[in-house]
Amino acid sequence: MTTVAATARTDGHSSAPRVPLAQRLGDLPVHVVLLVIGIIIAMPIVIAFFMSFTPLKEIVGRANPEFLPDTWTFENYRTAWSASPFGRYMVNSFVQTGIITVAQVILSVLAGYAFAMFEFRGKALLFSLVIGSLIIPFELTFIPNFLLISKVGLANTYGGLTIPFLASAFGVFMMRQFFLSLPRDLYDAAKIDGAGDFYYLWRVAVPLSKGAISAFTIFAFLGAWNQYLWPLVITNDESMRTAQIGIRFFLANQERATNWGAIMAGAVIVMVPTLVVFIVAQRQLVKGIAMSGLKG
Amino acid sequence: MAQTVIESAPSAPRRSRRGGRTGSSWKAYLYLIPTFAVLGTFVYFPIYDSFRLSLNRVAPFGSDMLFVGFGNYTRLFQSADFWNTVRVSLWFMVGTVPVGIGLAVVIGLLLSYPLKKLSWFYRTLIFVPVVISSAIAGVLFRLLYNPVVGFFNHWLSLIGIDGPNWLNTRSWALVAVVITVVWRQLGFNVIIALAGIQNIDEQLYEAAKVDGANTFRRIWHVTLPMLSPTLFFLVVVNVITSLQAFGEINILTDGGPGEATTNLVYSVFVDAFVGTSFRGLASAQAFMLALLIIFVSYAQFRGLGKRVHYQ
Repeated sequence: MTTVAATARTDGHSSAPRVPLAQRLGDLPVHVVLLVIGIIIAMPIVIAFFMSFTPLKEIVGRANPEFLPDTWTFENYRTAWSASPFGRYMVNSFVQTGIITVAQVILSVLAGYAFAMFEFRGKALLFSLVIGSLIIPFELTFIPNFLLISKVGLANTYGGLTIPFLASAFGVFMMRQFFLSLPRDLYDAAKIDGAGDFYYLWRVAVPLSKGAISAFTIFAFLGAWNQYLWPLVITNDESMRTAQIGIRFFLANQERATNWGAIMAGAVIVMVPTLVVFIVAQRQLVKGIAMSGLKG
Repeated sequence: MAQTVIESAPSAPRRSRRGGRTGSSWKAYLYLIPTFAVLGTFVYFPIYDSFRLSLNRVAPFGSDMLFVGFGNYTRLFQSADFWNTVRVSLWFMVGTVPVGIGLAVVIGLLLSYPLKKLSWFYRTLIFVPVVISSAIAGVLFRLLYNPVVGFFNHWLSLIGIDGPNWLNTRSWALVAVVITVVWRQLGFNVIIALAGIQNIDEQLYEAAKVDGANTFRRIWHVTLPMLSPTLFFLVVVNVITSLQAFGEINILTDGGPGEATTNLVYSVFVDAFVGTSFRGLASAQAFMLALLIIFVSYAQFRGLGKRVHYQ
């Protein structure tokens, strides 16, 4: 298959009007293969979407599973919304994700700025501590964190869900790199004009870093929204569950009744915010991920 | 572009130091305090605390502890369950990493072909798992594996194969989780592979073509060698993610059947939080898992150093 692709490329380069048919065919196999791969990969999401609109009767009554409902219904969404408090789960997730995202962005901008623009004692050591924390897996810290958060009475609260994640080493690194890439002359000019460091950060550096900041905001949002292990252990009160944990318990309840339409409605509700982010900010998201690969 | 920015970055502070025009020292700490307060409390201190817990037997409720030295570790090394979780983790790694990266490279090569139309559409379809959570991936695939209303066995029956009872058979359960994780990881892997492929200098292909290399030879002798830093990065990231797989397992199999899909992370979770808790024992396992992950990450730093010379 790859041969086809690359051969087509060379043909496209070298040959001109002499073989127009082959040239036209040259692109077609690539289109077909990519379309098939794309459909296979997106399939689980598409199936969930259609099934969320399929009546329970059709799901259990059919001889073989089918994609499209015969009659479209919103019943499954009503079930998901009422049988399990998905409204509450979504509010919890938005609050939890909102707090984590805003805090990570602000703290990362501040710390990244300090590492980029200031000279101070212990700078190299502190920076290597930040980088070092990137390789500490969450599995190592979550038991002590659970014990600490429980001891101070923050289990089952928004505080418990968010406080351990208010800072991001990755964010600090990303913002530092970006601030370092700003022309030094800007900083010097602002200084000569009598601007303070904070004024420069707020009025010059941050507006110039909108791209980097919004890229990091997307990462922080997705990371927080999709969290699983921590909210699973730190909440056991149903009213404090996040959407990801809610869907897990909803699945356990509804599966016995083979109410897969309602389960998929729940899944769609939970993934819609991330799909919206993906559609709106796909280019930025992809660019951000690609950069992380190129820098190694 | 991205690369030049990042690679030139480390030299910037040195320049400014020579100029001596940087901000005063004490103010910097004000900017750093919030970040270090959080990292200190929830990352650095817990490293020590986790190690301390691993040397103790911890009461299931409350915080009573009994110092047992390396007792938890020796107990683990003598336990068949522990070696089972290690084996599951390794099989899981073997199942996800090569397949996930192989698929990503093939799809990346296809996507790098300069189509005039519709390439944005294919990319959207192929990248989308990148925003899907482990919980949702688990839920979606739990439907697909369902023996009655699920799609997998229906599709298999169309080509005359009698599909297995995916989630309730020891060996298939692991395969089922592997497929799910490969799927969720694929968006990320393809993005990285494609970026790596597009980063390769066009002139190398031209040169190979002049030398008479056909497509396969160009992929084998130009693309793959030039892609090796990217592949190395992908291996490291995928090994680490595979060792940390949790959400899919929790939703698809709950570590079962038996303990067929209980990897190290899952065992840490079960020992610490399910039923009677053994938090000392769980911490000992967490510590060993962490050492493994840190070792792999360290390999990446070493590799990175080599790569800078390489370029």
